[in-house]
Amino acid sequence: MVRSTYEKRVARQLLLILSPSLLLLIAFVIYPAVYSVYLSFTNEALTGAAALNPRFVGLRNYSRLLHDAKFWNSLLVTFLFVVGSAIIGQFVLGLISAILLRRNLAFKQLFSSIILLPNAAPEVVAGFMWISMLAGGENATLSRIVMFFGMTPTDWLQTFPLTMIIVVNTWRGIATAMILLTAGLSTIPKEVFEAARMDGANPSQIFRRITLPLMMPTILLYMLISAVSTIAVFGLVYALTRGGPGGATEVISIYIYNQSFTAFQLGYGAAVAVVALVISLVLGIAYVRAMKVQV
Amino acid sequence: MTDFALDKPGKSRRPDLMAYATLSLISAFCAVPFFWVLLASLDGNAQLFLSWPREWTLNNYVRVFAEEDGARWVFNSLFVVGSATLLVMVLAGLGGYALSRTRAWWKQPFLYAILLIRVLPPTALVVPLYKILLTLNNIEGNLVRIFVGGDTARAIMRWIGFIDGYLGLILVLATMQLPLALWIMKTFFDGLPRDYEEAAVMDGATMLQRIRRVLIPLALPGLAAAGLFAFISAWGDFLLPLILLSSPELQTLPLGLFRAFLRVNTIDYGFLAALAFIYLMPAVIAFGFARRFLVQTFSGGVKG
Repeated sequence: MVRSTYEKRVARQLLLILSPSLLLLIAFVIYPAVYSVYLSFTNEALTGAAALNPRFVGLRNYSRLLHDAKFWNSLLVTFLFVVGSAIIGQFVLGLISAILLRRNLAFKQLFSSIILLPNAAPEVVAGFMWISMLAGGENATLSRIVMFFGMTPTDWLQTFPLTMIIVVNTWRGIATAMILLTAGLSTIPKEVFEAARMDGANPSQIFRRITLPLMMPTILLYMLISAVSTIAVFGLVYALTRGGPGGATEVISIYIYNQSFTAFQLGYGAAVAVVALVISLVLGIAYVRAMKVQV
Repeated sequence: MTDFALDKPGKSRRPDLMAYATLSLISAFCAVPFFWVLLASLDGNAQLFLSWPREWTLNNYVRVFAEEDGARWVFNSLFVVGSATLLVMVLAGLGGYALSRTRAWWKQPFLYAILLIRVLPPTALVVPLYKILLTLNNIEGNLVRIFVGGDTARAIMRWIGFIDGYLGLILVLATMQLPLALWIMKTFFDGLPRDYEEAAVMDGATMLQRIRRVLIPLALPGLAAAGLFAFISAWGDFLLPLILLSSPELQTLPLGLFRAFLRVNTIDYGFLAALAFIYLMPAVIAFGFARRFLVQTFSGGVKG
């Protein structure tokens, strides 16, 4: 193929106008990611002797990880947080909302606006609003609601900390699930449902045999992308509990932050960060493959 | 549309009632936390828990600006997030165009890379990021001090410093929003016919003229979507200002809010709620504008 000088010039110009973005991404994302792998093999610290003279320590940080109960705890907490809020909470409520809002109901716009609202709240504001819902014993809004139904109130963030951050993160993400699943629902041709009804299928059969199977690709993509973004949640949990009480809500991003900026152990924090990066990348690659992007 | 679920012939009113009840419950779950911010911010005697104000007042809002540095926090947030958003729109506009039109070998690897970059958790990157910025900041500081002395240098570094300076936070915030923005713009330009550009080429327009006269006007809807999503995400970010800023003069709204809450013994809930409401409003307004882009942005990949 003969390429004219004109085409070559255009190709150069296109690369040129992309280069500022490329430069920023390399400097502030790719290089830090690679650098954190390097840091994880050192005893780098913010204070003490190691701060002045960081040494290469091989795999020591990683072998320490294996025996660190707090690290395993944070992995478990992260797993439960992801399953509870992204895979179950947001998905179930998002799917119900998506299905119901496809009908011609009055106030449809109002309902969907209200469901979208939590998504707009900045993390710190969301955290404070929920502290008012949950903290303060009998006076907390949630306590007054359960007392109305004759149940015993409690200090929610102390008694059920993990459940509460799952509830709050579910609250924040219903909208994302609803939007993605609505898009998935709209790709199913209406004739399919009509044909099923003609054949006498009842609603629950239609849901189980038609809606769910046809939506499976969308659901899978939703699960992957929401799992990845839930692993990255930091500000919301930090504002609510800062990982406490006693590590009960110390998801992996809080654990990395605490190791690095509270315990000042940068090398060890980097090893935890690398674990988080690898888990996210594996899920991300699965996402890209499942998405079959035409790039 | 009565596609499925609870719809049984003969009991046509009941399923609708069920739908309304379910949606009302979900909406109540979503809305109730917002009531506290709104009511407490207008309450002269605000408490941590939800209560109907006995004494309505705007005093809490006045105090945010009169007694505390509220105006500065608002300015800092608007300036930093606004600049980052503009930067994202310019870079993603140019980069998205290049990604859409190029046929070079790096097109596919680059697109896969920006999809994967989006999944990296920022907390896992902040330590090395901090060290890189610190190095850049020291080099820059030494350069500045060659030309000007102590106080002036400090004042300049507040604007162009990488750590505890506007420039560093703007660049990093913008970078974090770039992958999604590039993706939006690339998809947008994919949908624009090349005819216009080819016509401009025939007329002898240069690349810059083509961008200014033809592409920017055509790309405005895409740029609006990319800019709105960048603004919303950067506005809500807490981690980066937490790590990159320390001077009180540079504090942004999330930091001001968070630190006001840390004054454990003297938490002033009316003040806090008013500040939270001020911080919340721009995000809600931007979200209102972004709404019509939500479906195509979130589902862009799904149908692909």
